[in-house]
Amino acid sequence: MGLVYRAHDDVLQRDVALKFLATTLGQPARQFLLREARAASSLSHPNVCTIHAVGEADGEFYIVMELIEGRSLSALIDSGGLAYETVMRYGAQIAGALTHAHGRSIVHRDLKSSNVIVTPEGLVKVLDFGLARRLAAAPDEKTLTMDTLESTVPTGGTLSYMSPEVLRGEPGDARSDLWALGVVLYEALVGQPPFHRGTTFEVSSAILHEQPSPLPTRIPPGLVAIIQRCLAKEPALRYQRASEVQAALEAIQSASAVATPPNDQRGSLTTVHRGIKHLQVRNGDVLLLVGTMKGLFLLRSSRQRARWDVAGPYFHGQAIYALAYDSREGRHRLWASTFSMLWGTFLRSSDDHGRTWTNPQEAPIRFPADSGATLKNIWQICPGRSEEPNVIYCGVEPAALYESRNDGETWSLVRGLFEHPHRPRWMPGMGGLALHTILLDPQNPKTMYVAIAAGGVYITEDGGSTWQPRNRGVRVVHLPEKYPEFGQCVHKIVMHPSRPERLFLQNHWGLYRSDNHGESWQDIAHGVPSDFGFAMVCHPHDADCVYILPIESDEFRCTPEGRLRVYRTRNAGVSWEALTRGLPQRGAYETVLRDAMTTDSLDPAGIYFGTRSGQLYGSTDEGKSWKEILNGLPPVVCLKSEVVGERRFTSAPRETRKTVPRRKSPVRGKSKIRRKR
Amino acid sequence: MPVTFLIPMPLRVFSNGNSQIIVEGAPMILADALEALWKRCPHMRDRVVTEQAEIREHINVFVGKEDVRYTGGLQTPLPNSVEISIIPAISGG
Repeated sequence: MGLVYRAHDDVLQRDVALKFLATTLGQPARQFLLREARAASSLSHPNVCTIHAVGEADGEFYIVMELIEGRSLSALIDSGGLAYETVMRYGAQIAGALTHAHGRSIVHRDLKSSNVIVTPEGLVKVLDFGLARRLAAAPDEKTLTMDTLESTVPTGGTLSYMSPEVLRGEPGDARSDLWALGVVLYEALVGQPPFHRGTTFEVSSAILHEQPSPLPTRIPPGLVAIIQRCLAKEPALRYQRASEVQAALEAIQSASAVATPPNDQRGSLTTVHRGIKHLQVRNGDVLLLVGTMKGLFLLRSSRQRARWDVAGPYFHGQAIYALAYDSREGRHRLWASTFSMLWGTFLRSSDDHGRTWTNPQEAPIRFPADSGATLKNIWQICPGRSEEPNVIYCGVEPAALYESRNDGETWSLVRGLFEHPHRPRWMPGMGGLALHTILLDPQNPKTMYVAIAAGGVYITEDGGSTWQPRNRGVRVVHLPEKYPEFGQCVHKIVMHPSRPERLFLQNHWGLYRSDNHGESWQDIAHGVPSDFGFAMVCHPHDADCVYILPIESDEFRCTPEGRLRVYRTRNAGVSWEALTRGLPQRGAYETVLRDAMTTDSLDPAGIYFGTRSGQLYGSTDEGKSWKEILNGLPPVVCLKSEVVGERRFTSAPRETRKTVPRRKSPVRGKSKIRRKR
Repeated sequence: MPVTFLIPMPLRVFSNGNSQIIVEGAPMILADALEALWKRCPHMRDRVVTEQAEIREHINVFVGKEDVRYTGGLQTPLPNSVEISIIPAISGG
């Protein structure tokens, strides 16, 4: 709506926003707008953008208003939507703004997500009360009843927020704003308005006659009910006052902070962690999920990653062997597997960054009676591809793969792998016979890899019905046959989503790369102090870059020479470099376990790892230098990172090699490579 | 005659905080008494027994003062008005 400038008020010494409106309006419309703007300037509420002055200068209509630093709600909503807790919080503030304005007989008339600004502190400000749309009140502009002063976008713009009565040409009232509020809440939850259609006609028809698609089951029923009532076709069936919507949203907000409803599908009891100062998480924050032998810790930082808020321990006394952050479809769901030697292992989730967790009545993952097996541990939680937002996989001990197709509500054993003829000859490693890694081929929905210690790498190319070993070239030390078809004690495999044909593998002795979907592997342990190790991660944006943390040997599972060194290759394993700045280089006999290293998705990428001695290190410059984030934790088992509200691996890799990298000449590392042969 | 289960602290979140749960129905063996307990407190089952219906390795169940591992496990016969204790082992790290 016109041009907006950042301006400075010399008299009151403050920065303001100065908005010039379109100048092609007829005189009656200008008078109408002036009248509306003057009325709106009487509003004074923390959730309303304050209008300081209105007027005309040189024939141009202008508004001087509060300068708000923030982002529009429409910009914050990505295609997957926001967490429902966030939507409740924003919704209550928007409803508060409407309550204030309606109480002064001012109707917004064009409430939409782009008219809502969210400040970095999470404060909502509603813009343009009464300004954006001329209604029938504009006496000589009846033919423009549906127009806005903005350029009209047929389906993506204002029409999407119009109530049925306004579409029918009736004068809107406060209840039309409540309809628009319902549209904004719906859009914020799922990423698009409820009547999103291809053409203007279809949108109008849907608003008048159709019901919106049901909201996902993850949305609390209380919030669904509020939105449904706002979106009642007849104004008389909606809430009659904004204050009612505000009260309803505030009520479910406080309820969701304490407990989920007893009929929650993911368990009738909830674990509520009291006495913990929980994280306050906003979109754009960086989270670190730290699983330890004695509980879960959650860390939050801004994008600078300089200071971290710490919350926990959650599930104190229990070991957290697997973690995941599921952001598909706008979720903000933490998954954790909790292991108690006494009470068993359970899969749990939290939708409010740790305040409440599911506490399932029955262990959701359980071996069928005919298997005779007993679940010992859950080693890996892997949300499915974005095209299958309700699919999740778990790798467990004893080695098996479980799949859920309904968002973790029920799980089934992947029989094709569990009944594989090799299975009786898989041997447990020191940590048990565990399926600890799951990699999904992003290009082929039927293809996935699993890694089993000690069984090796297996691939399915038919969605899990059949599995083939993929271990050719990977050496074993614990069998007389050094290159068997299977039985390798693989510690980790990683893949960059942009290069699904290429895998990297950290073995129990041995460092390998495959360029052909695991058909064959080649040794890439050039210039590392030891080819033994556990942890391995891919750089988020560079498909040729991999980080490892070498360990001296299987007998002495500590960093070689008491030096804590991360090693990085930037040429897919042709050579490796030590990254040591900021890490202790004397007397540091540390161990970093297979899932205790991770990266975030920022650029430059953050790299993090935790040790068995309870130290947590991070680098915000891709490994050039490191800082201790925390010490004194229980032994760190697993680590995950998430930039809240951002999708991982969305950026193209910085460099994509078309050819297989080859060593031009033998590279001799400066360190003596420790290998078992 | 009723059987009284003595519930350890970590499981009382599933028994409304009660330290004792009395089950009726005169169960003859431990397995029947546990089934009656699961009906009252369904969350307890998977914490005390595995999916193969075996008492978890580090959970001890006593009928009176006897560890059921030495009295027939889940088939342990129950005397009248007995107390059954569910006690976590002291193992751990």
